[in-house]
Amino acid sequence: MNLGAKTVLSRDSIHLVEREKTVHVISEEYYYKTESYYTILSHEMRNIPVAPGSSAVLDAYVVPLCLERARLNGIPVADCIISHSCAQYPAVLYGLNYFASSSEYKMVKDGASGKETIRHITNNGKYPFCYQPLSDGENVERHVSIFGKSYSGDEDVEDLARSLYNVFRIPLVTMVCIRGDENLLLSSLAPTRYSSMSNTEKSLLREYIAQQEFL
Amino acid sequence: MSRMGIFVDRKTLSSAEQLHAIIRCRDVAEGMGHSVEFIFPVDIRKIPQMDGLFIRARTDPMNVTYVASRMAGFNGIPVIDDPSSIRICSDKINMYCHLMKKGIAIPPTVFLSRKDISPSAVRELFEDMGSPLVLKEPSTSFSLRVEKVHDQYEFQRVARRFIKMSDWIVVQSYVESTYDWRIGVLDGEMIYACKYTIPSATFKIQASVNGHIVYCGVESVPQNEVPGDVIRLGIDAANAIGHGLYGVDIKNSNGDACVIEVNDNPSLEGGEDGLYPLVYQKIIAYLLEK
Repeated sequence: MNLGAKTVLSRDSIHLVEREKTVHVISEEYYYKTESYYTILSHEMRNIPVAPGSSAVLDAYVVPLCLERARLNGIPVADCIISHSCAQYPAVLYGLNYFASSSEYKMVKDGASGKETIRHITNNGKYPFCYQPLSDGENVERHVSIFGKSYSGDEDVEDLARSLYNVFRIPLVTMVCIRGDENLLLSSLAPTRYSSMSNTEKSLLREYIAQQEFL
Repeated sequence: MSRMGIFVDRKTLSSAEQLHAIIRCRDVAEGMGHSVEFIFPVDIRKIPQMDGLFIRARTDPMNVTYVASRMAGFNGIPVIDDPSSIRICSDKINMYCHLMKKGIAIPPTVFLSRKDISPSAVRELFEDMGSPLVLKEPSTSFSLRVEKVHDQYEFQRVARRFIKMSDWIVVQSYVESTYDWRIGVLDGEMIYACKYTIPSATFKIQASVNGHIVYCGVESVPQNEVPGDVIRLGIDAANAIGHGLYGVDIKNSNGDACVIEVNDNPSLEGGEDGLYPLVYQKIIAYLLEK
């Protein structure tokens, strides 16, 4: 049992928190075929309510699916084009294959740098990829969401965290967002290393694990 | 008239047999009065315009076929293979869990996690399950990451390789046979049956032997020559997964039929349906006319 500030958030550690008859699986990542994925699956196979679900985590880490599922739930998302070549720069690029990770997005400014990046993320053209065009002045930001809460101090980010948690039920996730002049768009969801979290975020997560914070 | 999308990728089109099979599928659909469009990964946005989607490319939850299947699902479009079937069949841990839950006969099977692979645990597995054992990396296809191991040294060597790709692996008792039954099931009905004759140089349906790829032989078998318990087991196993299209592999060497695996996206280009001319018609009717 993990208790409050003494909870060790070590690399790859998985924590289970039961609230209202649902087991919440807390992990740095929820990739397919990992210990956390199989922890979720084993609960599902025993008909034990578990969050997130195995279907949700697969959707969350595959960028076009993540965005489509978010869009269908009314969340503002970036335009995402599946392609073998990028037609528009600047853009954010994601691999779309067995080895791709949504945490490894690439920002490219022009065709020259884009060509090399595409060669890399498509394994020399073997796989397709997806890109999200950026308009002038748009930037990419990353924010951590803990059970749908964000400490960014930005209302849009906090709304996004809450909405995404309602859709995917992922306790710990990094929201990759595109910030424009007037809006904030979801670009992808990515794993969150405990070591990359601020002390405030770690404290909040420890409180959830110790069940001091009401979900 | 309805519109059917056939989702293909470069690899599908690089095989003459697969190309021939999907053209045959298109011809059957057009003969039934439907139109057909080939959908490539870059055309995924066209999926909502289709009335049904038939995926003919290697499925996996981490590749673009799953995106296509899920997009069809999001839009309420009938799809083979559906997302749930891809999730279950692409991962042998998930697949065997579903079979076990429904009491389907499978070889003695254990799931081993990364942290459980200790010398004492491996020794116990050999004591309990006998030798040889078969190790499977969960997302293997075409027997690519399926290995037979005879002792602890071999076990550790293969397990270390597989555990780099998955935190859990499958350990199974070895069942000897010279052929596998393949029962094709669509929506709970057998639609074809064939035998996969395993090459003498290996125990897998496809293997690299001395640097050469050897393939199993395929023999379409009429329904009245397939043992009734094999057909029932095939249908029960498919129903344990879902209501789509499956190829169920069954060993029946000593009369005790057991399921080796249930495949989504089963091959139809090797002559599996040679004696069953209505297979594509049934698939298309399921997608577009049900």
